[in-house]
Amino acid sequence: MPADKSPEPESDERVVLSFELRREIDQIIGGNHHNYCYQCGACVAQCPAARFSDRFNPRLIMLDLLLGRADKLLAADSPIWLCTNCYSCYERCPQDVRPVEVIIALKNLAGRKGVAPDSVSLLTRNILKTGYSGVVTPVVHKTREKLGLDPLPEPPVDEMLELLDSGSDERDASAGPREEKTRERSHGETPAGNASQRRKK
Amino acid sequence: MKLAPFLGCMIPIKYPQMEAAFRRSMPNLGVELVDLEGFTCCPDPIYFKARDALGWLTIAARNLSIAEEAGLPLVTLCSGCTATLKEARFLLGEDEELRARVNERLARIGREYRGTASVEHAVVVIRDEIGMDAVRESVKRPLEGMSVAIHYGCHLLKPSQIMHVDDADYPSILEDLVTAVGATPVAHQEELLCCGKGCLDDEMPVEMVYSIFSSIRNSEADCMGLICPTCFSSFDLGQIVVGRKKGVKFEIPIIYFFQLLGLAQGLPLEDVGLHLHKVKADDIVARLPSPA
Repeated sequence: MPADKSPEPESDERVVLSFELRREIDQIIGGNHHNYCYQCGACVAQCPAARFSDRFNPRLIMLDLLLGRADKLLAADSPIWLCTNCYSCYERCPQDVRPVEVIIALKNLAGRKGVAPDSVSLLTRNILKTGYSGVVTPVVHKTREKLGLDPLPEPPVDEMLELLDSGSDERDASAGPREEKTRERSHGETPAGNASQRRKK
Repeated sequence: MKLAPFLGCMIPIKYPQMEAAFRRSMPNLGVELVDLEGFTCCPDPIYFKARDALGWLTIAARNLSIAEEAGLPLVTLCSGCTATLKEARFLLGEDEELRARVNERLARIGREYRGTASVEHAVVVIRDEIGMDAVRESVKRPLEGMSVAIHYGCHLLKPSQIMHVDDADYPSILEDLVTAVGATPVAHQEELLCCGKGCLDDEMPVEMVYSIFSSIRNSEADCMGLICPTCFSSFDLGQIVVGRKKGVKFEIPIIYFFQLLGLAQGLPLEDVGLHLHKVKADDIVARLPSPA
């Protein structure tokens, strides 16, 4: 297990809190539970990425978010991309923070700001083009035929694209995030309002 | 029992042998598979969701609405599809405002998400609806003497508040199924470790696969049994790539559960498509008794 190093500032360095990143994350699906994090570290214990790399620690990602450090979390070398998406942290968290979902919300924000790795967009583009995540080559048809399977159905791509807002995805990345942001806001969740809503269940 | 299969992308495109094994073994359990038209990618819970979470949720809701319209339960073959569709149901169920936003978008194509269709991975439907007895009764050639190292993968079990499949720390569903087809499940140290496919690092997944395969080698199992095509992609070709990097040769065949079921039901080898795997299972299949 790697050492759980806290990003504590040097004695003469001041911690500057910023709420901007937190407000943005609150508006994205899965992001709004980050407010519940009390830094217990239960998420780290079973995290395979933390076990195999000292560059990844879900508790520290939550701490950086609570401090509003967009400079670290939305940087090109942000640790968020090392998450294995295994959901162990979601399983362990006593506060229902759902850290993996918060990390996915951060990835969405990175995409909107144009700092997501190309490999993420590649698979998304396949889906938007064909309705399938994988590439359908002639070999695929032949293998299916040999196995006695029916030909692959053609997914209704146009219908699927109707559901996406330009600006929110690969269809029109150049349009920018403005339209999507307005729609996200209309969701109307403030951290406080959200907390009381969640606690009701 | 009528079930609508949701095949996803990876199985019909990359590993159609898994689809073949599923389509041929399920009727022997008394299941009629009813294919519905109009599905797209679930969509994928790692990359698409990371790119456009609201779009991901809306496309998932559209897929679910197709099953609602047909009035049939969806059965999934892939852990990723299971994760997306079940999480979509969960999110749309817990957050009315979010559901309204998604339905606003679905209205553009004349659809609505109502939350009336159930979604379960095929192994869960077998355990909870069809029953282990039906599995045992369908077996014509018990896989006696075959020891199977179980690999659960992450998304069948976690998060348990959404998946509701098994205890995420002490699961037994795959052990029970492997036992029902006459094989011997083998526990090993890393049976719950993630395959690493969702991680965008070059080195970390190598270490994870190496760890899993070292653990299976120590267990002396004949093969690995799993239910997730993404894990399969990490392990079949993956063990060769990782073995080369580490200077070891694992040669542990990876077998999808429905291929094990098909073998046990006496289906011809070509029908379950084990010949399409990189690491061949010929030796262990040759040791099986011939179908009764």
